[in-house]
Amino acid sequence: MAVLLPTTIDETLAALAATPAALVLAGGTDVMVDVNEGRRRPEHVVCLRRVETLRARSVENGTLVLGAATTYTELLEPEIAAVAPAITDAARTVGSPQIRNAGTIGGNLATASPAGDTLPVLLALGASVEIDGPAGRRRIALQDFLVGPKRSALEPGDLMIAVRIPIRRGPQEYLKVGTRNAMVIAVASLALVVDLDARTVGIGLGSVGPTAFLAAAAAEWLTPRLVWADDRVSLPQAADAATFAGLVAAAAQPIDDHRSTARYRTHAIEVMASRALRRAVQFGAPHRAAT
Amino acid sequence: MPGSILGTAVVRVEDPDLLTGRANFVDDLPISGVLHLTFVRSPVAHARVRSVDMADARAMPGVVAVFAAEDLGLPPYQGLMVLNPACERQPLATDKVRFVGDAVAVIAAESRAAAIDAAEAVVVDYDELPPAIDPERALAPDAPLQFEALGTNRAAAMHAGSDDDVLAGSDVVVRGRFENQRIAVMPMEASAIAVVPGDDGNGHDLTVYVSTQMPHGVANKLSETLGLPVETIRVIAPHVGGAFGGKPGLAAEHLVAVGVARHLGRPVKWIETRSENLVAMPHGRGQVQYVELGCKHDGTIVGLRLRIVGDAGAYAGFGGALALGPTRIMAQGVYRIPAISFDAAVAVTNTTPMGAFRGAGRPEAAALLERIVDLAADELDIDPVDMRRRNFLQPSDFPFTTVVGTTYDSGDYEAALNEALRHAGYDELRAEQRQRRMRGDRWQLGIGVSAYVEVTAGGAGSEFASVTIDTDGGATIRVGTSAHGQGHATSFAMIVADRLGIAMDQVRFVQSDTSEVPRGGGTGGSRSLQLAGNAVVGAADLVLERARQLAAQLLEANPDDIVMTDDGRLAVAGVPASALSWERVAAAAADANEPLAAEFDFRQEGATFPFGAHVAVVEIDVDTGAVRLLRHIAVDDCGRILNPLLVAGQQHGGIAQGVAQALWEQYVYDEQGNPLTSNLADYGMPSAAELPSFETLNTETPTPLNGLGAKGIGESGTIGSMPAVQNAVIDGLSYLGVRHIDMPCSPQRVWSAIRDARAGTLPPVWREPPPVFNSTRDTAGAGVAAEAADDIDI
Repeated sequence: MAVLLPTTIDETLAALAATPAALVLAGGTDVMVDVNEGRRRPEHVVCLRRVETLRARSVENGTLVLGAATTYTELLEPEIAAVAPAITDAARTVGSPQIRNAGTIGGNLATASPAGDTLPVLLALGASVEIDGPAGRRRIALQDFLVGPKRSALEPGDLMIAVRIPIRRGPQEYLKVGTRNAMVIAVASLALVVDLDARTVGIGLGSVGPTAFLAAAAAEWLTPRLVWADDRVSLPQAADAATFAGLVAAAAQPIDDHRSTARYRTHAIEVMASRALRRAVQFGAPHRAAT
Repeated sequence: MPGSILGTAVVRVEDPDLLTGRANFVDDLPISGVLHLTFVRSPVAHARVRSVDMADARAMPGVVAVFAAEDLGLPPYQGLMVLNPACERQPLATDKVRFVGDAVAVIAAESRAAAIDAAEAVVVDYDELPPAIDPERALAPDAPLQFEALGTNRAAAMHAGSDDDVLAGSDVVVRGRFENQRIAVMPMEASAIAVVPGDDGNGHDLTVYVSTQMPHGVANKLSETLGLPVETIRVIAPHVGGAFGGKPGLAAEHLVAVGVARHLGRPVKWIETRSENLVAMPHGRGQVQYVELGCKHDGTIVGLRLRIVGDAGAYAGFGGALALGPTRIMAQGVYRIPAISFDAAVAVTNTTPMGAFRGAGRPEAAALLERIVDLAADELDIDPVDMRRRNFLQPSDFPFTTVVGTTYDSGDYEAALNEALRHAGYDELRAEQRQRRMRGDRWQLGIGVSAYVEVTAGGAGSEFASVTIDTDGGATIRVGTSAHGQGHATSFAMIVADRLGIAMDQVRFVQSDTSEVPRGGGTGGSRSLQLAGNAVVGAADLVLERARQLAAQLLEANPDDIVMTDDGRLAVAGVPASALSWERVAAAAADANEPLAAEFDFRQEGATFPFGAHVAVVEIDVDTGAVRLLRHIAVDDCGRILNPLLVAGQQHGGIAQGVAQALWEQYVYDEQGNPLTSNLADYGMPSAAELPSFETLNTETPTPLNGLGAKGIGESGTIGSMPAVQNAVIDGLSYLGVRHIDMPCSPQRVWSAIRDARAGTLPPVWREPPPVFNSTRDTAGAGVAAEAADDIDI
């Protein structure tokens, strides 16, 4: 087994071009489990730990750009929490401090597990993935990047450079049901993001389908029933919340496994949709602005 | 006159080494030229082994040898006890593999990495057979057989107690089928052994460093199995990172490691990985309990009928015997029960062999009793506390022999419960529960109560200790127990400080080395303080007696006039100026060519019976079924307390493991016998994030069976907490009509119960037991296993 240790993105791309089947190793929190269990026996490993530029973080024209090797621990930092609080909430539920120090947002996306903790949030935020490789540099919307269970749109030789996240003003919620409080894989998870400027709502679901996905129909149904103000959003008919939660749950396509049952997962999604909406949106008639 | 150090909270002398990383575990030992072992384990639950092709593995770099069963020719493995001799286990599988994880071959290599790589190159041709995974289904007539020669998967069965209808005369009978699920033992350090073959220059031909509870047990079993004189085997347990019943002497892999080391004439070591540990180390619990309790309208218990299916796992692991032993002998619990009928049937299944886990058969007994008593209270509309009070054995009843023949030494069960309720504020909690129900809160309150009695030092009740006064005036203690976290170095030094006035920091502690300690039973079954502690007392008293004679000679006085001074010296009474130091007395003994030392074997006439009461307070989210443990109040009575800090430590750790079984942990297989929870991502072991700070208290009811008045505390927390928490969850939902939820009370199970209760579709709590119990009363030979099971001391 050959392990390559590039230090720049160009070196990494060159290494991947030379050995397109190489395993790309960032934090290793998913990859090493597979290696230890004998599910992967890579001939070549390209290690990203020394590529500093993959950890760059910036804000460009209202978009938060996170280098693909940004760790979960770095996602907890106040600058990120200030502009994308649901990402911080999701990162906080990942593993233990040791796992959060090693695992990366790019790894979470590339693994493309339906239970990946940041995925529902990034979907709800409308994030996209920046990729470089044989086909050149390109951006792919996250919902198009997640093509199947543990399958992404990355092609051999591709390297994920960054995740681009629109900064949205408004409430953001991330909720996760698991079998314990810490170090737990989600049984079901949900993110709800309100954009007060664009007057849209995004709802991402995790662990209830072959990939994390957007509950787009529920969001479309909800949006016209909301009353928008500059600093808040209201749902005049509180009864609509139950219908909304039912629509979100209807979008779920969960399975039975040893962590839970499909029936419980669907129920959990419904409860989380209802709770997230109640936290993000004021129920009843909108308050009249004070005069 | 200073008071005794006994009964005071002395900080553990063991901790500085552990906390600063100076403590050595097996894997830390520098052993030059050591080879690394890795096992080739079966990926299927049940199969015939057609062939094992080791050629490629043997050719790999760094590989020294690869062995299958026939290459080593080892005798069959015997664990702590044999449940059924027809279910013999070969240390490496020969004709069949019988569980996922069964070892087929072993690699010895120069590095661990080389051994792991080579293990993957061994090609085993398996001819798969249908497996029997579920213990009840394994007992069905058409189940696939694990041992064809046995003709059944029933490894053992028995009937005990009354032959009559014990429920006759009841006004009400409540019935429940309860699962006490299989769980993993999960010590922080998994299994580990290092074997150095050959002459050590001190008369030993074999030196074994092993992570175990019972070094003498390992030496004795190796001697027995391999036909080697026991005095040629030296077994040392260095620091051991937890055991919890999972390291009771020789393991099958240990036998292989010794076989490889002797075959190659080179040192070897096997350090188990976590994932390997989760398939290889015996699991605990694993009972299905059919429980029927008959009562009068006022709650008075009339009789109890038990039919229990025990899971023995593959090769009839001795854990299967726990249903026949500890669960049976503790079947009466803390109650006046006029008649009990007990039947048990134990199945071999194509799963990891079963063994002991903290409590080992006693938590299963306490759990079924506390569950059925709550069901009866619910049925009769009596408060669960009143139900218990109406049936408790009373202090004047002791010593008390139960209807299953167990003699309890001492107890005051109601006092422990009263203390727990007082501390919990039971009436206020009930008031808050009513308010939350009236308001229709999302978070409902559940209050669970348990009362339990358990048995400690239940095996052959003897233990060795010696005390030697060293030339510097300090003392050396040697004991046959083998502490691995319990704090014996602290508690036994406290005893010597108390008896001989020697400061604790001048007391040396020797254990866990068969060349330093002539005999010992190891640590298990919460036996150590009551047996070894009293042996230390006995040895220290003999030393003092001899020291007084020596001092009398030196001071030309009568030995009866020699007393110990406040500063720990020996003097003629009333003449403090005459005082002699221990150093001086030890020198006099050495001059007389008879070192100042004594040995003592303490034998206890019977087991002791710790008891207690726990109150658990949970919140249940009725929307999601999530359960939060808000408070846990434990009153555990372990007789007279020697060091309250050590007792509280045992309570906290024990409670955590009991709560874990009630709420999170379960070892799960799919229908083909593939383990689904064989790593810590999938196995629901909790962390501190799940648990509140426990409220631990004690009552002190000394045992008359030993001088210290001590009973065991190692397992009480687990035994009391598990039923209290399960009862709390069910209590929280009783207003909806929920009567039972099996453990672990996961959000999904709790929510399903809520949903079914609201829909009026709750499943029945009872169903008829399987037909295997039609014949348990006439099973010949089952009594052998049951008697052996009485002596289990884990």
